[in-house]
Parts: sequence; structure tokens; C-alpha cells
Amino acid sequence: MAVAGLVALPAWASGWNPATLGPVAVLPPAEEALLAELVETIIPETDTPGAKTLKVHQFVLRMVQDCYGEVAQNNLNQGLITLDQVAKGAFEKLFIDLDVTQRTAVLTHLQQSDDPATKAFISLVKNLTIQGYLNSEYVLLNMMEYKMAPGFYHGCVPLKA
Amino acid sequence: MPFFNIDSVKSRTFDAIVIGSGISGGWSAKELTGYGLRTLVLERGRDVKHGVDYPTAMKNPWEFPHLGQISKAEKEANPIASQCYAYKEDSAHFFVKDAEHPYVQEKPFTWIRGYQVGGKSLLWARGTQRWSQLDFEGPARDGFAVEWPIGYKDIAPWYSYVEKFAGISGNKDGLPQLPDGEFLPPHEQSCVEKYFSQQMAKHYNNSRPVIIGRCAHLTKPNPIHHQQGRGQCQNRVLCQRGCPYGGYFSSNSSTLPWAQKTGKLTLKPDSVVHSIIYDEKKGKATGVRVVDAHTKEMTEYYARIIFVNAATLNTNLILLNSKSSRFPNGLGNDNGLLGKYISFHNFRTTISAEYEGFQETITEGNRPNGSYIPRFRNLYKQETDFLRGYAAGFGSSRMLDRDTTGFGEDLKKSLTGKKYGNWRVSSHMMGETIPKETNHVALDSGLTDAWGVPLLKTSVAYDDNDEKMIVDFHEQLTEMLTLAGFTNIQTHDDPNKAPGIDIHEMGGVRMGKDPKTSLLNKWNQLHHCKNVFVTDGACMTSNSTQNPSLTFMAITARAADHAVKELRKGNL
Repeated sequence: MAVAGLVALPAWASGWNPATLGPVAVLPPAEEALLAELVETIIPETDTPGAKTLKVHQFVLRMVQDCYGEVAQNNLNQGLITLDQVAKGAFEKLFIDLDVTQRTAVLTHLQQSDDPATKAFISLVKNLTIQGYLNSEYVLLNMMEYKMAPGFYHGCVPLKA
Repeated sequence: MPFFNIDSVKSRTFDAIVIGSGISGGWSAKELTGYGLRTLVLERGRDVKHGVDYPTAMKNPWEFPHLGQISKAEKEANPIASQCYAYKEDSAHFFVKDAEHPYVQEKPFTWIRGYQVGGKSLLWARGTQRWSQLDFEGPARDGFAVEWPIGYKDIAPWYSYVEKFAGISGNKDGLPQLPDGEFLPPHEQSCVEKYFSQQMAKHYNNSRPVIIGRCAHLTKPNPIHHQQGRGQCQNRVLCQRGCPYGGYFSSNSSTLPWAQKTGKLTLKPDSVVHSIIYDEKKGKATGVRVVDAHTKEMTEYYARIIFVNAATLNTNLILLNSKSSRFPNGLGNDNGLLGKYISFHNFRTTISAEYEGFQETITEGNRPNGSYIPRFRNLYKQETDFLRGYAAGFGSSRMLDRDTTGFGEDLKKSLTGKKYGNWRVSSHMMGETIPKETNHVALDSGLTDAWGVPLLKTSVAYDDNDEKMIVDFHEQLTEMLTLAGFTNIQTHDDPNKAPGIDIHEMGGVRMGKDPKTSLLNKWNQLHHCKNVFVTDGACMTSNSTQNPSLTFMAITARAADHAVKELRKGNL
């Protein structure tokens, strides 16, 4: 009785199903596949999963669809077209067919572009990719030692080397 | 309208009615049922049962579709609520939908409301600092508002009483301007906060203390807290979702279940109070008119005493709407001051800085609290060209330093690396505002809400005193941070941040000694209708600089004790 508040978590606490996050569908499958390659180029698979495996492209789409305005949505659509145009101009291939070095070169080029829309596109996708990646279940649990309830606060702890 | 079936009337008759179930209403419920009174608590919003109705409480970050962010459509549909720092994907269900609860802003006022059982006690920031005698003496010393009819010695035992039950963590700092309470163990200050505190002690000869905040968290629960079914705070800092552990104080986790256990409580959610019924022959209030939130049907409930705890502005609204031939301008409003002298806390401005020292240390875990700088301006005498002063929150943290310029493996390495940036600190001002007759609320003469209640019209604004205080906060905090060796000091002020966003609105039904210039006596009874008690923020004569909820709790417990004594003497 005395510690009921500590141990007894209600049944609904474990009843959450990530599948209920709901569908996202602002882009046709081809564009979604392109976006998946784009986020994977930003944060690739190494000895740990990359952004594509973690479905960060779907997070990017959901955020742009639900939380950003029409301007950002159009910017995303247009940016994906620009992405392939730049890829073709430089390497005569679609972005999806480039190797990692070529893809990175395209993104670096976009990031350094003088065109505000292009810059806005790459920074939108990059920032959302970083946000989605860092807050993904895999990264928080396996790489960030995330615990919902640490149970403590220490104000002055030596930094581990 | 009243349906004079004897049994029906009997079933709608109680010893006491409490309007509202938030922080102060919960305390009214606990105290009155505790004294054996059959008590009806009316809550305009839906029921929220502790633990059961906290749907987001156990969700992980990745389980929120937008990682906590509110969608654009929802933001646009709720321009008021979405200004609140706590309005996020995990807590939006505890805020009212703006469109359902309109009000008229004669001057911009951001009215944050949580209509549900527990009210805003689910959402509050949990800071609980006592007032000192210096605060109660403010109006008399500086010649504004009216003199408080009570002082620190009247309220001190009641502070102790509510602190022990609610569970307040804090350090005994021995400060005359911020009296110590009945504390659970304090949270720890970070190295930088401790350093700043030591520097201030040195540079200002102990006149500007920087202490750990006092807050309503069970850092180490006592048996009384376990008896409430509450456990130790888990340092999740997800408080706005409702805490399944009862780690912080809310009506839902504490006072309401306690009242329920007495068997004397009847809690009716979805019950919008329209007005209080005044009986001219008896010379007192006999009950309330309640509109069912869903059917819109009106029912009367009766009781010997009524506690109005609808939260400051809604308490004003209900009293203004309680018109009778004896009180044509609202219950108890013979002097025309009901709804006037509204005050708030000026939360408009912040300051931030960095500290380049302590590179070898970090913090670990989470802390649902911060450091606190009690008021140091005009404390014992007038020193500045503005009246009163401000308290300030003070927090520190060290963020990971992530280089995001690259792409690919380099970026990935940088994102998951453990390179820390400088310590960052920030402080926000909590400024006392001077209650003025011009800062008022009133009923709109034409518009009503979906329940037939006139819309509230807000006319509350900053004044010159507030502007001067902001300048002084910037000057003083810049000086303090500079003396302590902080760098990159930046002040921020957003004049578009309207009053109300502090969620510390107070007054309109102020306490005072003289019925000519106040609405309530020293026991929170309406001067002219003694069986009606107002013990939420509406009763506040002035607002000082402390987070106000603890004072509302203490005032409520004190008034309930008096009400029961008076009832027993046959005086009500």
C-alpha cells in the first residue's frame, strides 16, 4: 500500500503501438524513395543503422505535412526535382543512381547554393533528418542511454573521457 | 425553473459547494470534507482520474508523431493556448480549445485555461515560495491598492499545514524575504549555479542570494504522501502529462482522492456554474445555478456555504454574473470594485549567458526545478524609480556541441559524439505588477458562450512601472553575470508577450479591511455575503513576486477552518 504509487503502473502504459502513428502520404512512391536516399546520404548506415532504415524520411514527410506550411511543402517537392537536376548536371545520372561520394558532393553543392529556395530545401531536410534520427527509438535506446525516469539529478559530475 | 420536488431538492442540497477543482478548489474539498461537511465540488470540464486519464504519461519521445510539436492546423486553431510553454503534443488535451471558450480582449490578454478535474494543477510549474511580511506590507508601505488585512503571522501556520501535506522540497536558507518552510530534501544546484551563488554573496555582501527553488515535488516522500498513494518523484520532468507516480502535487493526485476517502465528497464534472443564488430574505447565498456542459440544462444546487475557486478570472466572471435585486452589479459588489485591480506577473523578459569554466564537469539526470533569485530590489526601502521588484528563475545546463556542417559519416559521428559546449545559463524575470483600477475584467454586454454565460472582457495591460522594471532587470542581471565572469550575455524582451501568459493573474475580488474599498474580509468572506468565500487568486490584494499557488493553498485552508468554526457557531 505504502509504495503503491511507485510500482503500480496502469495497464495502458504498455499498450502503445507505434503503428498508430498513422500514415503519411504527401509524396508519390518514387519521390518518397528519393527522399529516403537523401536522408540516408545525410546520415548513412555504418556499424549502426542509417536514417533510411530508421524511417527518418517518413518523419520528415510527416513534419512537413503536419507542422510546416504550404511554402515548406512546395519547397520540399521542388527541392527533390532540383536534387535530380543537379545530379544529372554534374554526373549525368539520377541522384538515386549515384555513389556515396557523388551524392555527398551534390548535397554539399546544394548547401553552398546561392539560391535561397535550394538552401532552404537542404537545410529543412537536414535539420528534420537530424531531429528524427536523434529522437528515434534506436538511437535513444542504443546510443544515447535514454531513460525516461533517471530517478536522480546530479549537479556536478566529472566528465568521462 | 427550480423543480420543487422535496426529494429532488434534498438530493441537490449539501453542506458546502466548491466551485472549481484546481489547486485551491482541491484544497477546499479536502478541508471541508475533512471537517465532516457533505461537499459538492463542481468542475466545468471533464473528469480526469489520477493515473487513468493521463494518456501520454508513459510514452517515449519517438512515440509522438511530431516529437512533441503541435501541428500547424492545431496551432492556428488555438492561437491563445499555443502561446503557453507547456502546450505540446503530450499535453494539449489538458488545455481548452480556444474556439470553444471565447472571450473578448479589449487589450491583449493571453488567458491560459485548463478545464478538467484538477484544472491547471496538472499543468503548473510547481514553484512554491512563501510570502514574507515584506510582501504583505507592500501596498501599505508603497501606497498602492489597499492594505492587506492579514500578515505573515496569520498565514505562516497554514503554509506549514499545506506544505506538509502537499510535499514541498527546498533548502532552509534562512532568508527574511523568503521564509523557510516544511521542506523535503532540496534539489541540487549545478556547479555553475553554486558558483554564481558564491560570487553574488561576495560581490553583493549576501544581499542577492541565489538559492535552489522550492517546489512541490516528493524528493523523499513522508508517510503522509504514501497514504495519498503518491510516490517519489522520478525526475522524468514530463510533469505536464500528469504524473502516474504522483511525484508532484496536483488536485488529482492528492487533495481530491483524499477528500473522496472521507465519503463526504460529491464530485460533478461537466458542470458549468452560471451564477450564485442570493436569497434576500435570508441575506445570504443559498446555492448555485449549474448548466450541464453537454445537455445545457440548468439545475440548482444548494448549500450553507460556498467556496468560489474557479480560478481568478472565472471567479470574477461568476460573481459578476451573480446578479440579484440586492446586488444588481454582481454578488457583494456594492462598491463597484468587483473585477478591478487585476494584477499579474511580468514574465516578458529573459537574459542568457555562457560560462567558460567548469569544462570538466556536467550534470546528470533531470531536475524538475531550477535555481531562484528572491526579490532584492526595494526590499526594505524604496531605492529605484519604479515600485516593488522582481524575483528571477535561474537555470544552467551544458549541451552537446554538435557540428552539423557536414554530411555522411562525419555528420553521424558528430551527432552521437560526447563533445560538450560551454555551460549556458538563463534567467527569467517574475515582476510584481501594481494592481490598478484600470486593469479590470467585466462582462460583455451582448455576447454569451455556449452555456449562456456572458463572455468575459479583459482589459489588462503593462504600465510604465513594468517597463522600468524590465530595464532594471536587464541592467542588474547583466551586472551580476558580468561580475561572475559570464560571457555572451544577451537580453531578450518580447513586448508582444501579453499579460496572462505568466498564468499568474490575480485580484478582482480583493481582500481588505474596509468594505468600501475591498470585496473580501480577512477570512476571505464577501463583506456583504458572509457565506461566500473566495480563496483562489481572485482574492489577492497585491501579487508580490512569488509563484502564487502555495499562498492560494494556505489561504484556502485557513478560510475553510474559519468557515467551519463559524458554521458551528451558527454564524453562517
